[in-house]
Amino acid sequence: MRSTVAIASALVLGCSSELPAPLPQGHPDDATPRRGGVLQTATFGDIRSLDPANLGDGLAPQLVQLIYAGLVDYDRDGNIVPDLAERYEIDPSGTRYRFFLRHGVRFHDGEELTAEDVRRSFRRSLARKTPNAAKSFYFTIQGAEDYANGKADDIAGLKVEDTYIVSFLLKEPDATFLPVLSLQAVRPVCRSAGEAFSADFFPCGTGPFKLQSWRPGERVTLSRHDGYFRPGLPYLDGVEFTIGVSMLAQRLKFESGALDLFRDILQPDLLRYRKDPRWTPYGAYDPASQMAGEGMNVEMAPFDNVELRRAVSAAIDREQYRLVKPTMLHALTQPVPQGVRGHNPNLVCQKYDEAAALEHMRRAGYAYDPVTKTGGYPRAIPYYAYPAGVTEYTSQVLAQQLARIGIRLDLRLVSYAAWLAITHRRGQAAFSYQGWKSDYSDPSNFTETLFHSSAINDEDTNNPSFYANPKLDAMLDAAHKEMDGPKRAGMYDTIQQFICDEAPWAFTYSVSFYNVWQPYVRGYKPHPMWQNEVRETWLDRPGTGRGAQASGRMGHGKEALLAPARSLPRDP
Amino acid sequence: MIAIAPIAKRFGRGLFAIWAVVTISFFLHAVLPSDPARIAAGPQARPQDVAAIREEMGLDRGVLARYGIFLGRLVHVSSETPPESGRGKGAHASCKALGPLHFDLGKSYQQRRGVLTVLGERLPRTMMLAVVALIFQLLFGVTLGSWAAKNRGTFLSRAFMSGSLLGVSLPTFVLGVILQYVFAHRLGLLPLDGYGNTWPEHLKSVILPGLTLGIYGAAYYARLTRDEVEGELKSDYVRTARAKGASPSRALVVHALRNALLPISTAAALDLGALVGGAIVTESVFRWPGIGSLGISALLDRDGPVLMGTVLVTAAAVVLSNMLADATYGVLDPRTRK
Repeated sequence: MRSTVAIASALVLGCSSELPAPLPQGHPDDATPRRGGVLQTATFGDIRSLDPANLGDGLAPQLVQLIYAGLVDYDRDGNIVPDLAERYEIDPSGTRYRFFLRHGVRFHDGEELTAEDVRRSFRRSLARKTPNAAKSFYFTIQGAEDYANGKADDIAGLKVEDTYIVSFLLKEPDATFLPVLSLQAVRPVCRSAGEAFSADFFPCGTGPFKLQSWRPGERVTLSRHDGYFRPGLPYLDGVEFTIGVSMLAQRLKFESGALDLFRDILQPDLLRYRKDPRWTPYGAYDPASQMAGEGMNVEMAPFDNVELRRAVSAAIDREQYRLVKPTMLHALTQPVPQGVRGHNPNLVCQKYDEAAALEHMRRAGYAYDPVTKTGGYPRAIPYYAYPAGVTEYTSQVLAQQLARIGIRLDLRLVSYAAWLAITHRRGQAAFSYQGWKSDYSDPSNFTETLFHSSAINDEDTNNPSFYANPKLDAMLDAAHKEMDGPKRAGMYDTIQQFICDEAPWAFTYSVSFYNVWQPYVRGYKPHPMWQNEVRETWLDRPGTGRGAQASGRMGHGKEALLAPARSLPRDP
Repeated sequence: MIAIAPIAKRFGRGLFAIWAVVTISFFLHAVLPSDPARIAAGPQARPQDVAAIREEMGLDRGVLARYGIFLGRLVHVSSETPPESGRGKGAHASCKALGPLHFDLGKSYQQRRGVLTVLGERLPRTMMLAVVALIFQLLFGVTLGSWAAKNRGTFLSRAFMSGSLLGVSLPTFVLGVILQYVFAHRLGLLPLDGYGNTWPEHLKSVILPGLTLGIYGAAYYARLTRDEVEGELKSDYVRTARAKGASPSRALVVHALRNALLPISTAAALDLGALVGGAIVTESVFRWPGIGSLGISALLDRDGPVLMGTVLVTAAAVVLSNMLADATYGVLDPRTRK
């Protein structure tokens, strides 16, 4: 559907159009943040749930981030810092974490946050009947797995020591515990959420904004939480997310001032925004936290032959991939993408070398002569991908590049749901498009999650190449436990190098999205982890001290801005 | 006196058709190579988490067992009062009650709300769009077709009918975007998309999607009307009416057009059924929260209960529109009443 609308927009707008001038700031010489105003933004997708214990889509986290705060969170430089916790302590063994909560933190309903609320929210999120798809991330806590499986009544390793102190006992040292704790699934929820998950919970947490209204498929409205624990923040009165808006419609609304910030941008428009000097100060990329590769199932022929996998890895010219969508894609030759901790730009991992690829083909027993076009792998290999705006093109690039070393592909574009089912089931797909988006900023999330043998499962495997190697497992396990930062970084360099050489995937590109905002949206810059992080953003529209004068003229967006939006109604 | 037996027979056939469509869809969806639990859990969920969600959704049971549960709860009797929101716990949380009679299509895998609650929100919006679209289709189509029949052979008539071919050929996703660009973006007269918050906003919002479907469908009615009216204009009774002093306009509207209404109304009733089933592309372009966009999302997300709900609504709409078409014959043509 998005592609048809994109084609239509190209037909209609075609070569149209110079971009309109950015809408000015009210007080360009004054950088003092101003309170007030409702920020308008939009997304093309839909949101399924705003309960942290039930997050399954990729869009909800940007809203959940504004509604719920966690014990720890990422700062603007990507470091994990205490948030609801004032501080934390890790004992020398690395198995006990103690969090000292801030005093006086208020939920949206006015209740004060205590350590018991942290425990209750954990229990609710990990309970057997809760549809939380991230439970197993917390199985590092003693007793969490038994509790989640209904074998225990409580999480043995989660202790409330005091009204404001909560501690976690881990099974073993775990360097990923803090990143995992920064995830949203276990963020404290109001007492109205109860002890057990229920879909009728009205989202309520301790974050900078509280949910005002949510019309599924249409709009989510947030308003400022006046009791937010960081004094003076947030500056905005509220945020409105319009849901299901096509990329073209977002652009039209943005140009008219009915949207203040947008990031679902058609490629031709993005090129214009990046080229136009009036707009370049008001645009920036998110960090590249998503990557893609060509997954080779090592249990199936011909990719049970490591030399053939190496041949594929060396035959791919990543620059050609990047050119498919140069505004979003970056060539990638290692598992960890550029925007995630652990990426090492100096690491020589996989690289394009056609002569080396031909040599690997020869060693694999499928020598190919590119001059006479004889030899090579004798059968066409089925390759599975789903059309997502990029893969339908990169799969053709792949087919052309592999043809040069004597590998023919039978391209099979299937629906996303079918691709997910086929390529994550044992023995079904030898070769497929694969990708991963950072759950948390740590190299283990791209190495251990995808290539450890424990990630293999007959159904719904997280290791779609079914790569199992005790040596790699041992390296990953050791790095997982290593608490010394620089030493750990070195271990992951070695791990990445090992994976690149074994080539269960040919890593191809990473993805980052461009944000554009009107000049009057101030204090905004893309966050290293969370999209639309607007806690410190303020509006500075001309003609008002409150920064909330709308200039939109496109229907509901306009009305929502002009009308009572300046001061949103309170909760009943 | 109304004959009950033929009506009951027709009603019974309709129910059978709806059951058959829903059952075929249920099993087709079940054999698709996909996993609703995986979609609900997200592409990066770990196997043990997906397995827990599969169990929680009841998808660990066999397809026949699931079908039995689906049919068993579709209509049942209970004394419990289900919650209005369609959320919450309990066996009847997703039901809608009519006295002791409960109707239940289960809970959406994605939204975790009762499917009937979701359909209850969406159906009136789709009905609104369907009715407006049909009004535009008939208004433009019948007017243009009648005019073309009356002025057959003229340059303008030929031009308009060629234009109607363009209307039929232009996909709604192109036409919709053009209308958005002109009337919302350039002229700022109407909302670009969405449904609005108040009734005046709903009415403003429905114009562009209604117009998109209206122009697309009007081309068909223009051609149908022209052909039908042309035939009627050559009839003896029209010549007689003209001989008795009826004006050309009266002969056209009162005599010829009235007799041409039978096929037009049949087509309109069937179209109404199809439109209630959802205009998938138009609803998506205009972000109209109706049955069509719901159905396509449910299909892509493998949200089985919602998909079954949209299939049920679509099948029922088509069956009812057929019955409506049959009923209009009696009103429009007295000869068919017996």
